[in-house]
Amino acid sequence: MKHKNLTIGGRELRSRFFLGTGRYPNPYIQNEVIRVSEADVLTFAIRRVNLEAPGEDAILQHLEEDRKFTYLPNTSGASNADEAVRIARLAKASGLSDWIKVEISANEKTLLPDPLETLKATETLVKEGFTVLPYTSDDPVLCKRLEEAGAAAVMPGGSPIGTGLGILNPYNLGLIVEDAEVPIIVDAGLGSAMDVTQAMELGADGVLMNTPVAKAKDPVKMAGAMKMAIDAGRLSYEAGRIPKKKYATASSGLPSFVSY
Amino acid sequence: MKLTVNGEEHDITARNVSEVVAHFNLEPKLVVAEVDGQILDRADWEDAAVKDGSKIELVQFIGGG
Repeated sequence: MKHKNLTIGGRELRSRFFLGTGRYPNPYIQNEVIRVSEADVLTFAIRRVNLEAPGEDAILQHLEEDRKFTYLPNTSGASNADEAVRIARLAKASGLSDWIKVEISANEKTLLPDPLETLKATETLVKEGFTVLPYTSDDPVLCKRLEEAGAAAVMPGGSPIGTGLGILNPYNLGLIVEDAEVPIIVDAGLGSAMDVTQAMELGADGVLMNTPVAKAKDPVKMAGAMKMAIDAGRLSYEAGRIPKKKYATASSGLPSFVSY
Repeated sequence: MKLTVNGEEHDITARNVSEVVAHFNLEPKLVVAEVDGQILDRADWEDAAVKDGSKIELVQFIGGG
């Protein structure tokens, strides 16, 4: 079966699985998850170096260097556009990537994105030449506005970060996908393979996950499940499901009935 | 010389950003430096003089979604 690869910002990706790198039990499991997931895009956060124990939190030293990845740093920790822009510039100065996931949370309890600040940061960073992938609310109009601001892909949340509540508003996600002219990546809130398949069947171009894999009982096994769910959902979307009907239709036509 | 590094005051002998990073035994290619609000490319560290009272931020990539 021929698969069409996802392209974002002119870059063709090997996979529709965007994988977060936080909260794994240890670096060995993390590397196994990365391998099994076959993810191309890996996300990171930016924080101050702990000067007492500099190696402790650093992530890049743990990654296997024989594979090439697309690095997607995020602006987590930012609560407004200015902070997000500063973090984005720091990330770019690393020389690793000019991709940036704009993530601006104004509420500690829900970590829901601040839509106005997200749009503002997206506008600024696009002008500065970043490949911008904003994490945002699942609002169709807002997603369109981010696309118009020059986002390379738009990443609506299924539900709040780390909740595993799945896709709370599949209707909205369907509208977002239908109207989008840039890739739509469902980011945040997914809990299991079922949620992932649903996102892909609704037409999402990819999914971004961290907690549901890292905190699963067996993260490596879950990485495999999520990968297959992405493939299954995508194929199902491309194949085109049957419409839902109220009453039954026999699989074999009536003329073939033999018993009277 | 007194420098504020990541919000803490440190007494360090260093002429430029490269030497500050070396002072803390950091792996240069994992670190991004900002001096007095100015983000620096790694190639410019040697030429970026630090002075008494400079505010330096040293950041790195950590795990995240």
